[in-house]
Amino acid sequence: MTAAARAGRRGVGSRQAAAQAAELSRRSIRASIRNPFSWLPGLVFPLLLAAVYSAQFQRALELPGFPEVDSFLDFVLPASILQAIVFGATQAGGDLALDMENGFFDRLVASPVWRASILVGRLAGSAFEAFGKSVLLMGIFLVFGARVDSGVPGVIVIVLTSVLLALAVGGIGLVLALRTRSQEAVNATFPLVFVLIFVSSAFFPTDLMEGWYGAVARNNPITWIIDPVRRLVIEGWSWTDAGQALGLTGGLAVVTIGAAVVALEREMARR
Amino acid sequence: MTDAATPTSPGTSPGATPGALTVGEPSVLRVTWVIALRGLRRMRRRPSLFIPTVIMPTFFVITFTGSFSGITDVPGYGTDNAFNWMTAYAILQGASFAGVGAAGMTAEDIENGFFDRMLLAPGPRWILLLGPIVYSIVRSAIPSTIVLLVAFVVGGADMPGGALGILMVYLAAAGTSVVFGLLAINVVYIGRSQRSLLAVQVPVFGLLFLSTGQVPLSFQTGWLHAVASVNPVTKILETARQGFLGEVTWSATWPGLTAIAVLASVLSVLAVRRLRSFAP
Repeated sequence: MTAAARAGRRGVGSRQAAAQAAELSRRSIRASIRNPFSWLPGLVFPLLLAAVYSAQFQRALELPGFPEVDSFLDFVLPASILQAIVFGATQAGGDLALDMENGFFDRLVASPVWRASILVGRLAGSAFEAFGKSVLLMGIFLVFGARVDSGVPGVIVIVLTSVLLALAVGGIGLVLALRTRSQEAVNATFPLVFVLIFVSSAFFPTDLMEGWYGAVARNNPITWIIDPVRRLVIEGWSWTDAGQALGLTGGLAVVTIGAAVVALEREMARR
Repeated sequence: MTDAATPTSPGTSPGATPGALTVGEPSVLRVTWVIALRGLRRMRRRPSLFIPTVIMPTFFVITFTGSFSGITDVPGYGTDNAFNWMTAYAILQGASFAGVGAAGMTAEDIENGFFDRMLLAPGPRWILLLGPIVYSIVRSAIPSTIVLLVAFVVGGADMPGGALGILMVYLAAAGTSVVFGLLAINVVYIGRSQRSLLAVQVPVFGLLFLSTGQVPLSFQTGWLHAVASVNPVTKILETARQGFLGEVTWSATWPGLTAIAVLASVLSVLAVRRLRSFAP
C-alpha cells in the first residue's frame, strides 16, 4: 500500500475500508446498469462488425497464410470480445472525471473515506461490465456456431483476460481523469483506442498485412493479447497461450492501476 | 426591422418601398450561400467538427486497405490494389459525416433559438433547408479531396477512368452528403435537438456498412448479400468506384445517380413538409 493510501485510511478500519470500497463499487455498477446507453453500443457494435465480417470475409480463409479455422466467426471472436471490453472500459475514467466536475469527488475526499476506494469503486464497475459483456458475447457467438476449441478452461481464461484488460484500460482512464479533471478530455482518447484495435491482428492476420502497416500491427500490444486468445479459440488448450494472455493483461493492469494510484496521490498532495 | 436598416439590407431590391422587404431570385441564392458559408466557418473554428470531417475518412482509407490488403489475392476481387476498391468507400463515409454535420448545424440553431429567428425572416422557408444542404456538399469535397490524395500518393491507386472518373467520385460524394444530410435534417426537424442526431447514426452507419464497401457482392454470403444487393449505397459506390477499376460507363453511372435523385427527392419533400409545421 502506498503512503497516500495509508494516510487516506488513517482512522478507517480495514472492515470499514472494505465496506466503503464495496459501496462505491455498487454505486458505479448500478450507474452502468441504469444507463444502457453507456454499454449497449459497445455490445452491439462489435456484434454487428463480427456478423458483417463473417459474411464478407469467409473467402479470405482460402488465402495461404490464413490460420486454419472453421469459420471467420471463430477467427473474429476474440477481437469482438476485446473490442467490446475496451470500448466500455474507458468509461471508468470518464465517470471519475464527471465526479470531479460535479463536485462529488470533493465530497468524497472531505469525508473520512479510504482514498483508494475511489479508484476501487470505479475499477470494479469496469470489471463487472467486462465480466458481463464477455460472458454474454461468448454465449451469443456459441449460439451462432462459433466453437472454443480449448473448452471450458479456455472460456474461463478468455473471461479473466477480459476482466484484466478492463482493469488495465480502466487504469489508463483513471490516470487521464485525475490529470485532466475533464470528462471531455478523457472521452477524446476514444478514437485512439479505436485506431489501436484496428491496427492489430483483430480482424485480419498480421501475416497478410504488408509494409509499415503490417509492422505496426505486429508490434501492437493488442495483437500480443488477441493472438494467444485466438489460438485458445481455434487451436485448443495451451498453458503458454493462457499464460501469455493473462500475464500480459495482468501486468498491464498492475502498471496502469499503479499509475492511477500515483496520480491520486499527486491530486491529494495538490489539495 | 427598422426603416433605417432596410435600405442597406441585402434582401431589399432597389426601388422597393422602404420597410417592405422583397426577396428576389438573387437573394435566394445569396441567403443560401450565406447559410452554407456560416456552416463552413463554424467547422473551421471547431476542432471537434474538423476531426470527423478530415481525420476519420483518412483513417478509414488507411486502416481498411492496411488491414484487408490480403483479400485482393482472393480470385475474383477485381483489383490487386485494395486502394482501388476501398477509397470510394472511405470517401462516401466522409460525405455521410458531412451530411450529418449539416444537420448538426440546424439542430444547434434550433436549440439556441437562432432557427426561430430565421423562421421569422422574410423569404421562402425552404432556404433554411437548402442552406445546410449546400454546406454539406461543399464540406463533402474536403474529405473527398484528402482521401483521393492519400489514395494516389500513399496507396498508388489507379484511375483508368481519368478526369471523368474523378468527377464521378465527387458527384457520388456530393449526392451521398445530400441524401444523408436530408435524412438527418428530417430527424432533427422531428427531434429538434442535437441529441436526436444520435438516432441517425444507426441508419447512416448501417447503410454504409451493409454495402459493397470492402468486398464485391460475389464475396458476400447469406443475409449480407441479400441486404447489400438492394442497398442504394451499393449503387452509389459503383458510380464512385468505376473510375478506379476501368473506364467510366453509363451502365455503372445511372443506377447510382438514380438512387441519389430518388432518395433526395423523397427526403426533401418530407423535410419541406416538416419545415412548414414549425411555428409561427
